[in-house]
Amino acid sequence: MKKLALLTALALAGTTSAQSLSGTVTIWSWDAAAKALQSTVPSFNKKYPNVKVNVVDLGNQNVYDRGLAGCAAGGVDMPDVYSIENNEAEVFWARFPDCFTDLNTLGANKYAKSFPAFKWTELTVGNKRYAMPWDSGPVVIFYRRDLYQQAGINAASIKTWDDFLAAGKKLNTKFGGKVKMGAIGNGQDDEWFRMLANQNNCFYFDNNATQITIAKSGCVQALDTVKKLLSNDVVMTTDWGGQITAFKANRLASAMFGAWYEGTIRTNAADQKGKWGVYPMPASRPGGVRASNLGGSALAIPSSSKNQAAAYAFLENALATTNGQVTMLKSQGLVPSLLTASKDAYVNQKQPYWGNQTVWKTILDTLGDVPAARGTQYFQDARQVMIVVQADYVKGKYKTAQDALNDAAKKISAATGLPIAK
Amino acid sequence: MTTVNPAPPPRRRARVPLAPYLFILPYLLIFATFWAWPIVSSFLMSFKDSRLGAAAGYGVSNWQRLLTDEFFRTALKNTVIILVIQVPLMLTLATTLAVALNSRLLRARGLFRFAFFAPLVVGTVAYSAVFRLLFNGEFGIVNRALAGLGLPEVDWLNQPAPAMAVIILAMTWRWTGYNAIILLAGLQGIPEDVYEAAAIDGATPWQQFWKMTLPLLRPTLLFCVVLSVIGTLQLFTEPALITNSGPGNATMTLGTYLYQQGFRSFNFGYASAIAYAVAALAAVFSFAQLRLFGRDS
Repeated sequence: MKKLALLTALALAGTTSAQSLSGTVTIWSWDAAAKALQSTVPSFNKKYPNVKVNVVDLGNQNVYDRGLAGCAAGGVDMPDVYSIENNEAEVFWARFPDCFTDLNTLGANKYAKSFPAFKWTELTVGNKRYAMPWDSGPVVIFYRRDLYQQAGINAASIKTWDDFLAAGKKLNTKFGGKVKMGAIGNGQDDEWFRMLANQNNCFYFDNNATQITIAKSGCVQALDTVKKLLSNDVVMTTDWGGQITAFKANRLASAMFGAWYEGTIRTNAADQKGKWGVYPMPASRPGGVRASNLGGSALAIPSSSKNQAAAYAFLENALATTNGQVTMLKSQGLVPSLLTASKDAYVNQKQPYWGNQTVWKTILDTLGDVPAARGTQYFQDARQVMIVVQADYVKGKYKTAQDALNDAAKKISAATGLPIAK
Repeated sequence: MTTVNPAPPPRRRARVPLAPYLFILPYLLIFATFWAWPIVSSFLMSFKDSRLGAAAGYGVSNWQRLLTDEFFRTALKNTVIILVIQVPLMLTLATTLAVALNSRLLRARGLFRFAFFAPLVVGTVAYSAVFRLLFNGEFGIVNRALAGLGLPEVDWLNQPAPAMAVIILAMTWRWTGYNAIILLAGLQGIPEDVYEAAAIDGATPWQQFWKMTLPLLRPTLLFCVVLSVIGTLQLFTEPALITNSGPGNATMTLGTYLYQQGFRSFNFGYASAIAYAVAALAAVFSFAQLRLFGRDS
């Protein structure tokens, strides 16, 4: 009886505080991500009926640019909740340390263990938490079951990059070079290098953001693999749009990206339903790590928000509950970074588009293995250097991958002023 | 006792009339706030390492970096390549077009003038998207046409030299008509009787063009050259939207590098230094052109 009274009292207390939150929460986001946030509004309003949520879809570039303008102007014209990509996040904290609220002051500390460590690295500075992890980009290989089968490739037996290369050669023989094992944006981007380097526990910078580590062995191995794939002609060179056109035209047997690419394949090639499947990315050596991360975002609360309590309540409901994260996974394929989300029933369901494979389980199971990597505030400088060095190395300008990356390290150091790790 | 001379009456002329200045004061204020101050402010900023935050003092680190920056040199080189190839190509075409449009033999001149001016009316983003599609290596109509003629296909956007060619083609398509219209106005300023006299003296049309039209058109051509050079030094839209400065940095220009530093890396100090370098280059180029081709002889 006593227990019941206590529970009722607690429930009542809970309701009063929920009822007391009111006003409007304005959120800036983009495209599918905005739609995903919108899909969590009904569950939020069930808890907080007096808060009106206004999700504004500005488009990715606009969110970034208007955030930059707002912070540069000292925090004017900012929303209550701001969407930010992990890679680009640190540049905001570094240039405008006062533009966003430290979420620890609102109680975010208790979620430290709820998300994988690699998701927090770019969102925390010292003991401040500037944003809460949202979706992530665990890397997997999406593949065409039918094309692999025709070429006699068994996806389950591809465990290392050498296996992947051998499978690519088989594919070339079968289709006369018309169908490729993947598409690399060589000269346009260095995504493959980043995915492979991350897998080998290497990145542009160390996790303290004090040294340049791009010339370390894990990165050397990554760059070498990228060149091997390109020079053996098992992958094609094309940009984002070209890759979509290619898989729609049955010219690509697989694609490697962060798992958010699931939606891109599913919506662009609806007629290929049932033909696709997913397997973990190959390791660089037998028994090596088969996980990596590319992309993913977070939500921050600008300091100028007049309604921080309600904004934080929204963050908690959308990001820190399994229900919120799974709602977004269902509606737009956003991959949860909340660890408990992988235990949800939906995650273990078979997906018809993916040949009834439990793709979300395959994808989320890799989350715990992803090595941490930091974009740092110099991410764009380093990326610009690496895109060129990779293209030059593939072209044959450097003798070895080590030479290439030594040069890249030198250039990044010149641009950022950071020392090169010994 | 001598009497002190009374002070001379104030001279009316010396009084500054206040009213006109009051009338232009709002403009001056707006000008100072939104135009003059940003120019000064960005100059000051070019001496600041904006990445370290507000605590950093002034110094020459950005300018030092500019001198040794390989990317800046690449951007400068690419910009100069475009300048040296595209501007003469475009102005030759524009002059030819202007002469043709000016010909009395041509019918429906208004229609032609409109047709050649039309590219300028098309939104830059739209036309850039169209060029991307046209030159798409796998599915673009240009490669289809080449294949149809039995020529080898070109991977336009993923190879350095072809990507540069696409940028130059796109700019030429967009700006030739604009320059032709300016040159046409210049042509129409040349009096008819000069040509009549030349014809009586037995000058061929070819001679008339080289010995009369071109020299008389020189001030207009100079105007076009200076404008095109300044425009090219600031080039941004085409490389940003058609090739995204790539592949690698093969089509990165001073404009896209400035944008990259300022609005991708948030390095406003260094971006300001680049902007001032571009402005200085534009001033030097324009001055040199005026000195070389602007003389009245």
